Amino acid sequence: MSTTVIQHRNIATEERFGGGMGLSITLHLLVVAGVGAAAWTGLMLHDRWGGPEANAGAIQASMVSAIPLPQKAAPVEKSVLATENASEAPAPPPKVETQPPPRPTDIEVKAKTQPAKIAPIPAPAPPKHPQPTPDTTKAASGEVATQLPMSVTQVKNGTASLTVPDRVYGARYAYYFGIIGRKVAQSYFTDGISAIASNGKSAVVVFDIERDGTVQNLRLYQRSGSPTLDAAAMAAIQRIDTFGNLPAGDHITIEYKFDFHTQ
Amino acid sequence: MEINKGAADKIRVAAADFKPLSADPQASSEKRVFDTTLFSDLSSAGIFDMVSKSMQPTATPGSQQEISIAQWASAPTSASMVAFGNLNVSAGKLVVNGFLDDAKNAQYPLIFTKMYTDEATDDAARQVAHRFADEIIFRLSGGVPGIAESKIYYVRLMGDGVKEIAEMDFDGANQHILTHLGTDAISPRVSPDNSRIAFSALSRDGFQIKMYSLLLNRPVAFPTAGGSNISPAWGPGGSQLAFSSSRLGRNDIWVSDPQGAMARRLTSFGFDSSPTWNPKTGSQIGFISGRTGLPQLYTMDSDGSGVTRMTDGGYASSPSWSPNGQFIAFAWDRKYGPGAPGGQDIYVMEVATKRWIQLTNGIGRCDFPTWSPDGRHIAFANSPDGRANHTRIMGMLADGTDRKALTGAGADMPNWSWK
Repeated sequence: MSTTVIQHRNIATEERFGGGMGLSITLHLLVVAGVGAAAWTGLMLHDRWGGPEANAGAIQASMVSAIPLPQKAAPVEKSVLATENASEAPAPPPKVETQPPPRPTDIEVKAKTQPAKIAPIPAPAPPKHPQPTPDTTKAASGEVATQLPMSVTQVKNGTASLTVPDRVYGARYAYYFGIIGRKVAQSYFTDGISAIASNGKSAVVVFDIERDGTVQNLRLYQRSGSPTLDAAAMAAIQRIDTFGNLPAGDHITIEYKFDFHTQ
Repeated sequence: MEINKGAADKIRVAAADFKPLSADPQASSEKRVFDTTLFSDLSSAGIFDMVSKSMQPTATPGSQQEISIAQWASAPTSASMVAFGNLNVSAGKLVVNGFLDDAKNAQYPLIFTKMYTDEATDDAARQVAHRFADEIIFRLSGGVPGIAESKIYYVRLMGDGVKEIAEMDFDGANQHILTHLGTDAISPRVSPDNSRIAFSALSRDGFQIKMYSLLLNRPVAFPTAGGSNISPAWGPGGSQLAFSSSRLGRNDIWVSDPQGAMARRLTSFGFDSSPTWNPKTGSQIGFISGRTGLPQLYTMDSDGSGVTRMTDGGYASSPSWSPNGQFIAFAWDRKYGPGAPGGQDIYVMEVATKRWIQLTNGIGRCDFPTWSPDGRHIAFANSPDGRANHTRIMGMLADGTDRKALTGAGADMPNWSWK
């Protein structure tokens, strides 16, 4: 049944197609003819460009003697706002007379002379030990103030000097005080000392050394005025367990002075 | 008045050859031993600038009357101190008179004089020289005793592969074996009174703490405990013994009395070993712990509180606390691992500040540092090529200078006596 329908449709399509084809050819021919007629009319029935016609349009030119330019306006003289005359320029600054450069010959050259040799002035040698400052509250005849220290040790930033009030003992056992000086210098740390506040100042500590070499009665005898220097001087002695047995005697008293000088 | 250049310069000491008083031919041998030992003791003390023997005056003073002190004080000798004396051998007895003079003090030069009497043998001459050197060091160092009579206990690697405890003088002389256990005995630690040695030995119960009496010259009883018990350490009073024990499963620090009784545990995190007491106070213990990975150095109070980590990395081992309590020496491999630069070296750390310095470098594997009683020397085990049987014991000053070998190959784990 379906085959029958398809065939029927095909027949109907062919019939309609055959009628439309004739109409289409006719219409195409009419369009071609119209285009050809229009082209012929446009090309043949028009004037040709550049053709020989005498009445063709043209520009006519005639020579004159002058061009009629507009009149120049008279300059405005009285106007204060604008003038065409240039105003007077300000006078240039007066020329400063420059000094001619000195010629080499102008300067007198001294003959080379050997400078007279001056013997160097010997700087006063620094005192090898801190000078004891006279204590004004005491009699000047006090022997402690005039005694030379037993041992002076150069430490970092200054000196440390040891004084033994018992001078006979100090002379007899000088080696022992050399050992003390060495041990104190090893345990004296200057890192914590304020250099600005302590420069040129001295702290004096006094202590006893017992028979077994231990330190007793450690005290700050003279403040330096710089707490950091005072503390470092005290700590230097406090760090020491023992100085070694005393060579003789029951105990000795030691005065230790720490001078601080920045290098 | 004496002017010192500074703290760093050492006392210049001349040690004269001693004058033989007798023509006994035996005396020349003892005199040579005595002179050599005295000079080497004084130079190894580390606090003297020794006058070379070639710079000394040709005269040999034998007594205080014979010495011309100005001759020794002037250049080229320039000595501050002169040690001299005489030596006499008669009837099998050695008599030595020693003098120490202050060359800078023309008026009272004599500092002290000592007389020693002993058997006329080379060993006795060496001992007398040690004692005289100790006396000089004691007088001139300001109260720090000399170490010339101290001993070093160590592990001797025997030919048959076992390890025994041995003893020698501080300078490497007079080496001899103490124990004959036929097993691995390690970590000798001598008691503060030099009467006993605690060590760890391998037995059928694993490593156990053992005791050896130096007075009886034989092992004495110490109780056996479970697990591995290693690295004993004497407390400074001699009444406490710290060690590492795994009797409860993991290695912790334990403390007992010298008889092994009243053992109590101080740490509980495991992997703790190598305790060392603060010899100055006895109130702190340094130890090695692997609680955070690689072994690190720690300190704690002797009751187990206040644990503080000291090292920041690497591989730390075998700490030893200095006699003055200020420093801990230990072996440290700061860049531990395969292909890492450097190696295991000896370091010293200041306990209060945790600042450290390196003492050895580039001499091979170093381990087991131990302080001398005066705190000026450190002995340690060193293997130049890293092989265990090439390990020897070296000595040096505590700043790492003046390093020298004390033994040949086959000595390990030194422990310096307390006095």
